[in-house]
Amino acid sequence: MTTEAASDTLSIGREIRLARRRRRLTFVRRLLAHPSFLVGFVILVLFTLTALLADVIAPYAPTELNYRFILAPPSKEFWFGTDAYGRDVLSRIIYGTRVSLRIGIYVVVMTGILGTLLGTLASYVKWLDGLIMRSLDGLMAFPGVLLAIALAAALGPSETNAIIALTVTFTPRTARIVRASVIVVQGMQFIEAAYAAGAGHARIIFRYILANALSPLIVQLTFVFAVSIVAEAILSFLGVGPPPPAPSLGNIIADGRSNIQEAWWIAVFPGLVIAVAVLGLNLMGDGLRDILDPRHSSARDRP
Amino acid sequence: MKTHLKMASKLRSLGVIGVFALAAVFSPLPSLAQVKGGEIVIVQGSNPPSLDGMSTSSQASRNINMNIYETLYGFSEEIKPIPILAEGVDISDDGLTYVFTLRKGVLFHNGDEMNAGDVKASLERYRVVGATKNLLAPVKDIEITGDYEVTFHMVENTPTFLEAFSSPRAPAVIIPEEDGATEAGKNSFVGTGPYKFVEYVPDDHVTIERFDDYTADTRSEGIDGFGGKKTAWLDRVIFRIIPEPGAQVAALEAGEVQILEQIPMPAARRLESSPDINLFKNARWAFTTFIFNTSVSPSDNVKFREAVQVGLNMEEIMAISSEGLYTLNHRWQYEGTTYDPGMIGAEYYNQADTERAKALLAEAGYDGEEFSILTDSNIPQHGRSAVVIAEQLKGMGINAVINQVDWPTALNVRMQDEGWNGWTLQMGIEPYLGPVGLIATLASPARPHFVKPDAELDALYQELIKGATVEARQETFKKIQAHLYEIFAIIKVGDSGLMHAARSSVKGFIPFRFPRVYDIWLEG
Repeated sequence: MTTEAASDTLSIGREIRLARRRRRLTFVRRLLAHPSFLVGFVILVLFTLTALLADVIAPYAPTELNYRFILAPPSKEFWFGTDAYGRDVLSRIIYGTRVSLRIGIYVVVMTGILGTLLGTLASYVKWLDGLIMRSLDGLMAFPGVLLAIALAAALGPSETNAIIALTVTFTPRTARIVRASVIVVQGMQFIEAAYAAGAGHARIIFRYILANALSPLIVQLTFVFAVSIVAEAILSFLGVGPPPPAPSLGNIIADGRSNIQEAWWIAVFPGLVIAVAVLGLNLMGDGLRDILDPRHSSARDRP
Repeated sequence: MKTHLKMASKLRSLGVIGVFALAAVFSPLPSLAQVKGGEIVIVQGSNPPSLDGMSTSSQASRNINMNIYETLYGFSEEIKPIPILAEGVDISDDGLTYVFTLRKGVLFHNGDEMNAGDVKASLERYRVVGATKNLLAPVKDIEITGDYEVTFHMVENTPTFLEAFSSPRAPAVIIPEEDGATEAGKNSFVGTGPYKFVEYVPDDHVTIERFDDYTADTRSEGIDGFGGKKTAWLDRVIFRIIPEPGAQVAALEAGEVQILEQIPMPAARRLESSPDINLFKNARWAFTTFIFNTSVSPSDNVKFREAVQVGLNMEEIMAISSEGLYTLNHRWQYEGTTYDPGMIGAEYYNQADTERAKALLAEAGYDGEEFSILTDSNIPQHGRSAVVIAEQLKGMGINAVINQVDWPTALNVRMQDEGWNGWTLQMGIEPYLGPVGLIATLASPARPHFVKPDAELDALYQELIKGATVEARQETFKKIQAHLYEIFAIIKVGDSGLMHAARSSVKGFIPFRFPRVYDIWLEG
C-alpha cells in the first residue's frame, strides 16, 4: 500500500513534469509558428547581434574623424556615407544600436521591477492602493515623452539620466497593468484554495499570483522596450540624451538635420534603423500577446 | 572625365564665391537705379537678448540695433574711428580734454532734435548699464559746453580712447534724454537711425520700418562702415528668428525670406550656381579659440596647457568647425593688419605633435583626471570644434569629456571659477576691434576669459592702451603675442569665415559686421 502510494506519487510527479515540458514546447512551437512574432524576433536578434558585435562588424571607429571626407555620399568605402565630421555613418549606426539596446534593456528591467513591485503592492495591500495609484496617476497626467524630456533636461544630458527619465515615465503604466491583472488573478478560486491550504503571502504572490499575471506584463515590457528606443532617439535628438560625440541614433539624426538637403544619408539611415527596430519589437509584442492571452489563443485554437 | 568634373567643381566653388564677393563689393554704385519701397525678411538664428542698444554686446542684438541707433563716433569700413552723430572732436594736446561738437538738425524717431543734453544723458546711462561700460572708465566727467557740444574731462591721457569709444561691441548709442534714467532694456527703443523700431515678438520676429525724417550725414557719398550717408530704401524690414539652419535655407530657397545672416557651407556649395541666390563671403569673421580655465586642475598647469597647444591639429579643427571656410593663422590679429605681430608663436601652432604632447603631459604629472570641455548647441562652430578637440585630446591620452549646454547656460558656467576646464569660443567682434578690444577680454579690470588674472598680461594691456603712438603699440602687441604663447591660457585655433546669402532680388548688400538694411533695395 505504502509502496504503491509512493510509486503513484512519483508517477504523478513525472506526469506533471512531462505535461509542463510539453506545454513549454507547444508554447515555443506556437511562438515560432506565429508569423509576426517570427519576423519581429528575427529583427530583434539581428539588432542585438549588431549591437553585441559592433567592434567586429563596424568598418571604422564611431568617433574617428576624417576632414578630407566631410559629407561624402554613400560609396564603396563608406556604405552609408559620412557626416559633417567625416565620420562613417554606418559605423556610428552600428555603435548606436548598442546605445539604444543598452538603454532599452536597462529601462525594461527597471520598469519591470518597479512596475511589478508597485502594481502588486497596490493590489495586494489594500491601504496602499489609493496612495500608490493616485501618485502614479499624477505622473501619468503628463504626456509620456514630454515627461521624459523634462526629466532628462532637468537631470542633465547623460545616458544614466536618460535611463532614469524613461524609467520614471514608463513605470506608472506598467504598474497599472500589473495591478489590474493581479486583481483579476486574486479573485480566482485557486488563490482561495492556496489560502485554505495555508500558503504564505510570499508563496501566494510569487508562485500563484505573479506567475499567472505575467503575460500582460511581458507584452507591456516589449512595448516599453520599443518605445524606449524611440524615446532615447528623441532625447538625443533634442540634446538631452547621451552627450556628443556618443553615437546614439538620435544624435546621428540630429547631426544630419542641418545638412538634410545636401547629405540626406546622415539622417535617413539611422531613421530607417529605428523604424525597423521598432516595427520588429511591435510585431514581436503582438505575437506574444496573441499567444499568451488565453482569449486570443482559445479563439484561434478552438474550431 | 571624373577628375575633370571634380576639378571643375572645385574651381567653381573657389571661383563663384569669389566672383560673388567681388560683385558684392562693386555693385552698389550710385549709378544703379535704387528703388524705394518694399519689405524684406532677414533671418538670424537667435533672439536679440535686448533691443536696448547699449546694454548688450550680443551679435543678435547688434544686427538689429545698428539699424535703429547711432553713436557719436564709429568705425569706418577700414576700421578707423569716424564721426557719425558728431561733427568732430578736438582733443587737447595733453589728451585730457575731448570736445565733441554735434551735428545739428539730427532727429530722434520721436521727432525731437538731438542736442548735448541727450548725449550727456545717454553716456551717463552707459556708465551704468553699458555692457562694456569700462570703456568710459578713462572719462572723469562729461560736461555740456553748448547746445551742440559736450566736453569729456579725462582721468589721464588714454591715446586709444577714441578707438575704444567707437567700438560697436556694445555701442555707446545716443538716445533721448527722457530715456537717460531707464534701467537696462527698459528704454523706449528710440534712436536716430534710418529705421525705427515697430515691434518685437520673441522667438518670432522684430520689425523695423523706414524713418522718413532721418537726417542723413551728407559729408560722404555713401555708407562707410557704421557711418556715412545712409539711405533707407525699404519700407519695412523684418528680422525673423529661425534657429534651425536647414529651415533657414529652405525658407530662402522658397523665397519666403530674402537674406540669411549665415548660410551653412554645404548649402552654400549646393546653391552657388543658383541664379536666384547670391552668396557673400565674410572671410575674416571670427577667431576660433579654445580657452582654458587656469584656476582648476588639470588646466591650471602651464605644462598641461602647452601639451594641448602642441598636440592639437588646427587644420582638422578648422576644416570641420568652419565647414571649410577658414584660414590657418597663429596670430592674435588678422594677417597684414596694423598690429600683425608676424611669426611670433608660429612654432607652437598647428603642430599636431602627439608625442611631444604626451611627453609634456608626463612632465606636468597628468594622471588621467577628467578634462571637461564646455560648449553649446546654439552656435554650431562651438559644438563642432569641441567634438574635434575632444577627439584629439583623447588621442594624446587626456580624459576629455564634452559638456554641451545651451548658449546662455554656457555663458553662466564659464563665469564660475570651477566646473569646466576648456571652453570653445568664436571671438567675432573682439578681433575686429583690434588689439585693445581683444586683449580687454583677457586682462583686468575685466574678468579674464581664462579666469585667473595674469599679472604680466595685465601690465602689457595697460602698456597697450597707454601707448602714445601706433609704433609703440605695435611693439607692445608683439610682446603680448609672445606672452600668450608662454602662458598658453587661450589657444588660437584659426580664423573662420562667415557666408551670408541673399535672394538675387536684393541689391546693394555689402557684407559687414552686421546686416546693414539701409542702402539696399529690392529690384523693381
